[in-house]
Amino acid sequence: MAVLVLLRSPLPRLGVLLQRCWGRLERGLWPGVFGGQNPPWGPAVAVQGPVLVPQGINGAGESSAEPPSLLESVVWMAAPKQRRTIEVNRCRRRHPTKLIEIKRNIDVCPECGNLKQKHVLCGYCYAKVKEETRLIRMEIYKKKGGPFNAPAVETVVLYEGEKPTEKDEGKQIIERARKRPSWFVQN
Amino acid sequence: MRLSVAAAISHGRVYRRFGLSPRSRLDLLRNLVTALVRHERIETPWARADEMRGYAERLIDYAKRGDKDERAMRMADFWLTEKDLIHKLFKVLAPRFQPHPGSYTRMLQIPNRDGLDRAKMAVIELKGNPLPPLVRPRRDSDKTLLNQLLKGYRQDAQRAAAA
Repeated sequence: MAVLVLLRSPLPRLGVLLQRCWGRLERGLWPGVFGGQNPPWGPAVAVQGPVLVPQGINGAGESSAEPPSLLESVVWMAAPKQRRTIEVNRCRRRHPTKLIEIKRNIDVCPECGNLKQKHVLCGYCYAKVKEETRLIRMEIYKKKGGPFNAPAVETVVLYEGEKPTEKDEGKQIIERARKRPSWFVQN
Repeated sequence: MRLSVAAAISHGRVYRRFGLSPRSRLDLLRNLVTALVRHERIETPWARADEMRGYAERLIDYAKRGDKDERAMRMADFWLTEKDLIHKLFKVLAPRFQPHPGSYTRMLQIPNRDGLDRAKMAVIELKGNPLPPLVRPRRDSDKTLLNQLLKGYRQDAQRAAAA
């Protein structure tokens, strides 16, 4: 269930602030940082023109082993130096925190015999109750006659061959045309 | 001394965030409370049921004050969007829960939803509803040691009383 949240956080302002600081550092307008030295990321050799120059135009003057765009880009990206061996990989992949936890809270439902988690209702029994509830609600709707006519009295559900007792005096009677199920105890 | 909270720390916050905005959260919970009062048993994601439970119980506490009370009527008018349920609340639910001091709802967890999200679902119901019960209370079998000892004690007491 995705939750859309509008966060008023200072994080975008932080990003904008960082961008401004970086811009000023690049332009050398923040001498306090390096104590007045030349900014170390200025080009050692002033190169006019585009950085990424195709080899053919420059001619044989430049050695082909020189990597292009070294002088302008200071951003070094991290990359693995060595291949991780399968032993190291196994240690990481099979660490106990990465394995799926085994559930020890699965039991047998005493009513139907299906499996259930201890703190959760049995799926089969709940489906039975849900179906019966749906049929009872259909009967209630038929009796009401309209969509928004909730009765202002209590309701009682009676099955075949049952009579309303004196406790069900002012209540609305809902008849279900079947035998009373064993799990629905009348009281 | 820090006088304002930093973002992304929510220590001690009790109310969950739902929907698009705080008003939308209240509308969502209001719909759920209306559905609960109408159907007396609903199935919904666990977090929503948990959040809604407090509001539903407070609404019933307000309804117990009686429908002559101005505040109670205003609360019921806000929280129940379908106005025929206000009659049901004051005439059916308030008398039903008059003897009980609190805890008018029961919330139980269900197997996760069948859809793609496998959401944790709960069923929340008002106690004393006419629908079939969700959980049958199980008594321990008579064959357990404790129950056999208690049975023996009762028989001894009866024999002593008869003699």
